[in-house]
Amino acid sequence: MIGVLGIAEIVEVKELAQTVVFAFVAGVGVTLIFSLAIWGAARFVDLSQEDRPVAAGAAAGAAGLALLALAAVVVIGVIVMTSK
Amino acid sequence: MASDVILVLVIGAALAFDFTNGFHDTANVVATSISTGAARPQVAIAAASLLNFAGAFISISVAATVANDVVDAAAITPTIVFAGLIGAIAWNLVTWYFGLPSSSSHALIGGVVGSAVAADGFQVVIAEGLLGKVLVPALVAPLLAFVAAGVSIGLAYRVIGRQRPGIVSRGFKYGQVLSGGMLALAHGTNDAQKTMGVITLALIANGSLGAGSEPPLWVIVASAVAIAAGTYSGGWRIIKTTGTRIIKMDAAQGFTSQGAGAAVILTSTHFGFPLSTTHVINGGVMGAGAAKRLSAVRWGVAGNIVVAWVLTLPAAALIGAVAYGVTSVFGSGAVGPVVVTAASLAAIGAAFVRRAQRGAPVTVQSG
Repeated sequence: MIGVLGIAEIVEVKELAQTVVFAFVAGVGVTLIFSLAIWGAARFVDLSQEDRPVAAGAAAGAAGLALLALAAVVVIGVIVMTSK
Repeated sequence: MASDVILVLVIGAALAFDFTNGFHDTANVVATSISTGAARPQVAIAAASLLNFAGAFISISVAATVANDVVDAAAITPTIVFAGLIGAIAWNLVTWYFGLPSSSSHALIGGVVGSAVAADGFQVVIAEGLLGKVLVPALVAPLLAFVAAGVSIGLAYRVIGRQRPGIVSRGFKYGQVLSGGMLALAHGTNDAQKTMGVITLALIANGSLGAGSEPPLWVIVASAVAIAAGTYSGGWRIIKTTGTRIIKMDAAQGFTSQGAGAAVILTSTHFGFPLSTTHVINGGVMGAGAAKRLSAVRWGVAGNIVVAWVLTLPAAALIGAVAYGVTSVFGSGAVGPVVVTAASLAAIGAAFVRRAQRGAPVTVQSG
C-alpha cells in the first residue's frame, strides 16, 4: 500500500503547491485586472458625462494601465505555450 | 506487410481520436462565449477551430507522457496503441452522446493502460506515474479552478458592482473573445500534440522512423487538420451542458470561467503539471456559479459530470482491454485490428443512425 508519505514523494508536493499558489494568483489576477479595466472605462463614461475631465482622465488612465497589464499577461501566456 | 496495415490503422485511429477530441472539447472553449452571447455560435466555433489548428503548430516537442510515464515504454506495441485509441474514441463518443464533458487525455491514458494490461499484465503499469501525473492532478484541477473562479467572480462583482450593467456586460463579452482565444490556442497546443506523439511512436515502433525522431511535417499537418475539423464540427450536446445546464451565467461569470481557467492551465503548464482543460473549465463554471449563489449551480448536472470524470479512466481502460482482447483472438497479424476497426465503424454508424431517428441534434438555440 502507498501511504501518505509515499504519495507525497511521488507527487512532488513542492511543485504541486507552487502550481496551486501561482495558478490561483494568476487566475484571480486576470479577472481582477480586467475588472479594473472595465471599472475604469465605466467611470470614464460617467465622469465625462458629469463634465469632470480630470477625474475622467484618471479613470481612463486606470483602464489603460489595466489593459496594458492584461496584454502583458497574454504575451506571457503565449510565451509559456511556445516554450514548453 | 501486416505491420504496415496495423500502422495505417493506428494512424487512422489516432486521427479519428484527434477528431473526437476536437469536437468533444470544443465546448471547453466556446460554451461560455456562446451562452453569454459574446460570440455567435458558428463564429465562435470557426475561430476556435482556426486557433486549434494554429496551436498545433506552435510547439512540436512530442508529448509522449502516455508511453513514458504511465506504462512501461518497452511493452508498447502498435497493436496496444491501436486498442488504447479504440478505448479512448469509444469513451469520448459515449460521453458526447450523453452530453457529458470529460477529459479526452484521461480517455487516451485509460485506453492505453487498459490495452497494455490486457497484453502484458499489471506489471507494465507505472503506478507512480499514473498517480503523480494523472490521478492527483485530476483531483486538484477542478477544485483549483472552482476556488479560483469563485474568488475571481466575487472580486469582479465588488469592483464593477455599482457600474452600469450595459458597459460591464459589453466589456466582459469583449474580454471573452480574448479569453476564449487563449483557451483555443492552449487546447490546440496541448491536445494535437498527443496525437502527433502517438503517431510518431507508432512510426518508430514500425521502423519507419529512427528512435528519438521528431514528428514529420505530414503528421503535424494531419493532426492539426483533424483537431480543427473536429472542433469545427462542434459538439453541441456538450456545449449545451457546459454553457447552459450547469449554471445560467452572465458575461462576468463567462469571462471568469475562461480567464481564470486559461490562467490556471497556462500556469500549471509552466510548472510542468498538465491539467485537463475539461476539468478546469467545468470546475470554473461551477465555481463562478456557486460564488454568486450555491443554488445557482444545478448540482445534479454537476454530479453527473463528476461521475463521468471518475469513470473515464476505468471505462476507457476496460474498453481498451476488450479491444486488445478481441484483436489477440485473431492472432498477432493485421486481421484483429481490421476486425475491430470494422466493428467500431459499424457501431458508430449504428449510434448515429439511432440518434438521427430519435430527432434533430441538440443545439444551444433549441433550448
